[in-house]
Order: sequence, then C-alpha cells, then structure tokens
Amino acid sequence: MVFNSYSFALFFVLLLVLHNLPLPWKVKKVNLLLASYLFYALWNPPFILLLWLSTVVDFYAARLISREQRPMPRKLLLTISLVLNLGMLSYFKYGGFLLENFTLLLSSVGIAFQAVKPDIILPVGISFYTFVTLSYTLDVYRRKTDPEPSFLNFALFVTYFPHLVAGPIVRPEDLIPQFRKPHRATSQQMTWGLFLLSLGLFMKVVVADTLLASSADTVFGVPFPVQPLDAWMGVMAFSGQIFCDFAGYSTCAIGISLCLGFILPDNFRYPYAAIGFSDFWRRWHITLSTWLRDYLYIPLGGNRKGNVRTYINLMITMLLGGLWHGASWNFVIWGGLHGIFLCAERLIREWTGQRQRSFAGKNQADPGLTESMAQASMVPVSLNGKFRDFGLALLTLLLVDITWVFFRAPDFGSAMKILLCMLGVIPDGPALLTSLDILKVSSVTVVLIACHWLMRDSSLVQLGKRMPWWLLSLIWTGMLILLILTQKSSNSFIYFQF
Amino acid sequence: MHMNHFSKASVLTLISVLTFVIGWELYWRSQHLALSYNDDESLWAHTRKEIYQTSPSRPVLIGSSRVKFDLDLAAWQRVTGEKPVQLALVGTSPRPLLNDLANDPNFKGTVIIDVTEGLFFTPDGSFPEREATKRVEFYPKWSLSQQLSFHINHLLEDHLYFLDEERLSLQPLLTDLPIPPRPDTWGGPKFPKEFSVTRFDRQNVMTDAMVADTSIQNQVKAMWLEIGSHSPKQGVDGPLLTAILNSVKQSVDRIRARGGKVIFVRMPSDGPFREAEKMGYPREKYWDRLLAHTQTAGIHFEDYPVLSKYQCPEWSHLAPKDAITFTEDFIPILQQKTGWPINVNGAKVPATTASLSTHQ
Repeated sequence: MVFNSYSFALFFVLLLVLHNLPLPWKVKKVNLLLASYLFYALWNPPFILLLWLSTVVDFYAARLISREQRPMPRKLLLTISLVLNLGMLSYFKYGGFLLENFTLLLSSVGIAFQAVKPDIILPVGISFYTFVTLSYTLDVYRRKTDPEPSFLNFALFVTYFPHLVAGPIVRPEDLIPQFRKPHRATSQQMTWGLFLLSLGLFMKVVVADTLLASSADTVFGVPFPVQPLDAWMGVMAFSGQIFCDFAGYSTCAIGISLCLGFILPDNFRYPYAAIGFSDFWRRWHITLSTWLRDYLYIPLGGNRKGNVRTYINLMITMLLGGLWHGASWNFVIWGGLHGIFLCAERLIREWTGQRQRSFAGKNQADPGLTESMAQASMVPVSLNGKFRDFGLALLTLLLVDITWVFFRAPDFGSAMKILLCMLGVIPDGPALLTSLDILKVSSVTVVLIACHWLMRDSSLVQLGKRMPWWLLSLIWTGMLILLILTQKSSNSFIYFQF
Repeated sequence: MHMNHFSKASVLTLISVLTFVIGWELYWRSQHLALSYNDDESLWAHTRKEIYQTSPSRPVLIGSSRVKFDLDLAAWQRVTGEKPVQLALVGTSPRPLLNDLANDPNFKGTVIIDVTEGLFFTPDGSFPEREATKRVEFYPKWSLSQQLSFHINHLLEDHLYFLDEERLSLQPLLTDLPIPPRPDTWGGPKFPKEFSVTRFDRQNVMTDAMVADTSIQNQVKAMWLEIGSHSPKQGVDGPLLTAILNSVKQSVDRIRARGGKVIFVRMPSDGPFREAEKMGYPREKYWDRLLAHTQTAGIHFEDYPVLSKYQCPEWSHLAPKDAITFTEDFIPILQQKTGWPINVNGAKVPATTASLSTHQ
C-alpha cells in the first residue's frame, strides 16, 4: 500500500478511529501490528513470511546473546542473525547481480558458462527492515541496549508500517520505549501530523510525479544524445524528483506516525543547502548515513587509525552505501563518487587547517588576516561569509547532481552519454524538452534551492510556530488544492525498489 | 506550539479546501462536459479480468481508438444479449495485447482485432508498442491495494466530474497554458476537452458538443494533421514488416490452437486522414497481406456499403449515433463472414460490395 492511494486513506482513517477508541494499550498495539502486516501484505502477501522470520529469529537471537556471557557463543549467535538477515538481503537483492558478474568473470577468463537468469522478485522494503533488525541485534551484542522482553513491542518496532518499507531507518531506542507506555496524539500532534502528511504527499504527487518525473524520464530514457540544455534539465529534474519523492515519503511517515502519537526521527534536513559533502550526508537520508557511520565506518576504525585508514574506511563505507541502494555498478560508482568527494573535502580541510595554523602562528598579531586567508583558500575571490557559503552550497549541489547521473541512468554508457552532453562534448543531439518542461524544472529547482537555503538552520515546526496561523492555512490549502487538482497518482516511491 | 494556532489553521484549511472542491466541481459541470472515467491501467486491468468468459457473442476487442468509438457496446449487447470485453487502447498498437492473450493458456475466447495501420504496423520499442506493453506488464502486478484503490476511485468517479485525470487534472491544465513552443520540439497532441469521454466499460464516445460544433471538430482535425506531420509518411517495409507479420501469425495460431477465434477489422476513416493512410499503408501491401499471412478473416469497412456510408466528424471516428447503427450492421456481417455462433436477435445481413476471399 502506498501513502498516495485511496486504499491507504481508508486504511489510515479506520486505524485512527481504532487507535483512539478506549481500548487497553496492549489491544491497541496488537491493532497496530495487525494493521502493519495488512499494510505490507497488500503488496505481495507471501513476503510477509520473510518479515516474520526476520522478526522471530532476531528477537530470540538477541535474547540469547544477552544471556550468554561467553564470547564465542555470543559471536555464534550474532553470526546466525547476520547470516539470516544479510543472506535474505543478498539472495533477493543481489542474487541476479552476483550471478551475472560471476558469468562475466568466467567468460573473461575464457570459461563459457551460461546461467539461467534467476526470476527473483525483490520484497518491498527488505533493505530497510533488514537494517532495522540488524541494528537491534548489534546493539544488544554490544550491550548498548537491553533486549526487549515483549515480543509484541519488538514485532511492532520492526513492522510499524510508517517506517517499514522506506524508512526512516529506526533504532531500538527511537521506537521501543514509545511502545512501552500508552501513546495517543495530542490535538497539536494530530494537526501537525496531518500537515506533514499533506506536505509529504504534495512533494511526492505534485512536485516529484507531476512536475519533474516526465522530464527526467524523457532525458534518461532516450538511447541517443540530447542537447546540453536538455541534459542539464533532465539531471536537475531528477535531482528534484528524488529529493521530493524520498523526503516526501519520510515526511508522510513522520506525519502519519505523529497522528498516532509516535515520534519518528528526521530523515532529511534541507540537503540541497549543504556546504560540502560531509554536510550533505548530515542532511540527506540521515538515518542511513548514521546507520552506516555507527555500524560500518566506526567498526572499521573510523578516523582513529590514521589518515590513510580514514580515507579507506570512508571509501568502503560509501561504496557499500552505494551498493545498498541497488544491485548495479552504477550505484557503486555513485557511492564511490560520494566517497571521493568526502575524501577530497577532508583533504582540503586538513590542508586549509594546516595553512591556517601555520599562518596564525606567523601572524598572531593579526587574527583578522587569518580569517580572510581561510576564506581565500576555499574560494578564490574574497566574498562575505553568507555569499561565499551560498556559492559553496551551489557548488556542492552541482557535484551532487553529477553523482545523480549515475544513480538514475540505466547503465554506465548512458550515464557517460548524459555527462558528455552536459559538458557540451556531444553538442548536436536533438532538443527534447518543451518550453513547459523547462519552465517546470527550472521553477521547481529555484524554489527548492531557495527553500533549502532559507530553512537550512531552521526546522519546519519552528517555522510553523512563527508563521501567522492564516498564512500556515493558506500554504496548507494551496498544497491540498494542488494535490486534489493533480488527482490520483499511485506511482510507487523510488526508494521502494531499494 | 500553540494549540489554537494549529487548530485554527486546520479548520480554515478544511473550509477553504471544501469550498474549492465544491466550486471546482460546479464550474466543470457548468461547462457542459460529460462525466468521464479515467482510462488508466487499473480500469484496463479490471476489464482484462473478464476475458475468460468470452464467446463469439461476447468477444474481446483489442486495437486502437477506432474500435473504442465505433463499436457501441450497449448496441452490441442489445443485439447479442452480451457485452464485449473492451481492451483496446487509444494510440497504441494491439500487438502486445494479442501476444498477451496468446500467452495466457486460460484464454480460449474470441478476439476482434482493430487494425489502424499506422499503429498496428509499428516496430517493437516504438511509442505505440511500448504504451500497450506497459498495460500488459502492469496486469500481473496489479496489487490488492491498487485493486482496493480502484474500487474506491470508481465510487468517487461515478459522482465527480472533476476527477478526470486526462482532461481536468493539473498536467493537462498546465499544458493549456499559452507558453510559446521551444523550436524543434513537440509536446504531443492537445485535443479539445469536448472531444470525447470514456465510459466505465471503456467505450469512448464523442460529446454532444463535439458532434454539434464544427469548430471543435476542426480542432481535432488539426491535431490529426499535426500528428501526421510528426509521423513517418511510409509504413514499415521489408524484413521488419515480415517480422511483424510473423509475430502476429504466431500469436493468432496459438489462440486458435486452444480453440479460440480471431478476426481482423478495419474501422472507417475518411477525408485527408484516409487519403494519407492509403498513401502510407496501401491496402494490398498491409491489410491484404496481413489476412493472407495469418490466414485469418477480415472485415474492411470499404467492402460493405452499410459500413462505409458514414462520415467521421473528424475523419477518424464515428459519432455516437452512427456507432450504434454501425454496430447493428457489423454484427450480422461478422456472423456471415465467420460462421461463428453469434446470437443475433433478428438482425438482417447486409449485402457486400466486394467478394473477398475468406481465409478461415
């Protein structure tokens, strides 16, 4: 079931009524759990068995890990949980990809091997709920958290429908404590939750699906080169589309959960106003980047084992982060590019930091000079702080957009073709996008950048509080009217395929 | 957070949105537009479910827009007692649908294939072929959730005019904006809103305004000319045409092997549209060759005075009133041509203008 569907609207209204009836807390939790299973089963009922398997195995594995004091059995139990979770993920998500590359590898050394193409359907949300259950087992193993004694609370933590299929990727401490005591949305939470749901649907249905998707699909869908303007517009369209699609889903999820009285963690914080790539990853898919930091980058050694290892760890984390998105070399390249940009940024910071320190040592009498030197090392011309930051944010967005080419293109050749068109190396392709397409993409891009920039150090709830109530209503009304005008759009969210 | 603040905002929002919806609905009702259903993938999938209870009296119709306008399903039902299953898709090639029926081992029914040469004889991967393939691929993925949404949507569509995605949603409204075109680009045809509506059984009918107003008809004619200027002037030829014919024959043979029945039909067109079709797709090279290659019977409107007596208001489709009599005349011809056991309630078989070889 997708949030942008009539079936979800009916489901949500019935669930809200049920959740607000004077029933015991345990009954309400059972209702939520059954509703979550229904929410998932309406896609493809058999895949619910995988969810049950993962839930049951991790619940009992974590219990046994917690009771066991001897290191080896603890490791063995953790391994069982990891093998099950990562095994399922690998089979369903990477089975075909591994087989295809294995075949290519054999043929490259002259061994003719023709494997039957596996017909594997990817269960919706498997990458997300696998990370949710993994974080629980790993936290219990590290004794960061105690195992949850209630199976109902644990099953609801894994299956809770707002985050189940596309995040935010919750941690045990985010949700389990909330399930332990009765929760019901206050009227403020309910109205704010409904506002967030409207905003998320507006981002998905109006902006991503109606204003941007067709331009991105057109440019990335043709097998021939296009004009540079079209290539840029296609990439900018996808850049806006992927943000509005994914952040729209997260905003819906947070809003829906708030209407039920539960708070989910933020997943996006105006990423297109990020200054640099480390800032970008603090703002984009936050729950994934923190998951990768806590369960991959830090266990690899993080930045504690010297400079070279830090760069290697960064690259490993980003390459695997790219591969998490899908079984394709393009996702690996996307992750690799982000890794390279993060490493480059770190190098620049170290270099400018050293220069700053050595310059400050020589010019202790003039601290103002040190500041201007630091600025000059980032941007070649002397600019004031805000202006310089905006320029750096645009530069970051430009580089992020270049990485999106690999994320969206169906294969490496197509990605390179788009990049060459963008750079004007192939200038003579046909014009594809109409005036209306260009107007839609450029308007949305400008508004998106402006909103992100103006909101980069703020939050929606703060803005909602500061704004006059009638203005808030005007914006809300505008979004809902556009949503109604757009009419039904039951397009799946892009991140469901991951 | 002040409770008053958000509560006041939500109440005002609710009132404003409800006011807008009522006003928007009343506005479109005042524009004399008839109620139309979204001819989307869910409506197609819903109709596709019915193909297993077909018979010569209740055939499956596949093709492009002409069979959707020209065969009146209610008239067919009056004559035979049963209503056909309308699976044709506007602006697409029926070949992916034919292939889909051929690949379905449970389908053993009767198929009437509408041939609009410019769409039928398009190669794999072309726009008309891709669009039809999308529907075929959607059907097995039509989830329970989407089915539930479809039924809820149907309840709303029954009563609300503005729920018309094709004509009145944000996308077509934006397309209506007077924005100067970018040189060397084409955003696709823009048909007037009054052109036609889609019924829940997927039949298309021209609106009363379209039938009555020649200026609207001229707008549609202008669209055909525009589409023509962006389409190849000559049809596919050589090995590509042979490959298309082979794939059609393969599908037809598979349906017949299971006891199914197939016939091709060529619906009326006239004026410059027909002239362009004759130039680009000469009958002997395409229509006749299709029947001969697949060894299948066909009904070409030009062979029957009762089928060729009509004038299409916009050169390509029949007006609703004409579609009724066309259908009433078509059924006995179909029965005579094929010998299929169609329940015809007293309809007379009209005379033919040409004696065609029957390949069945």
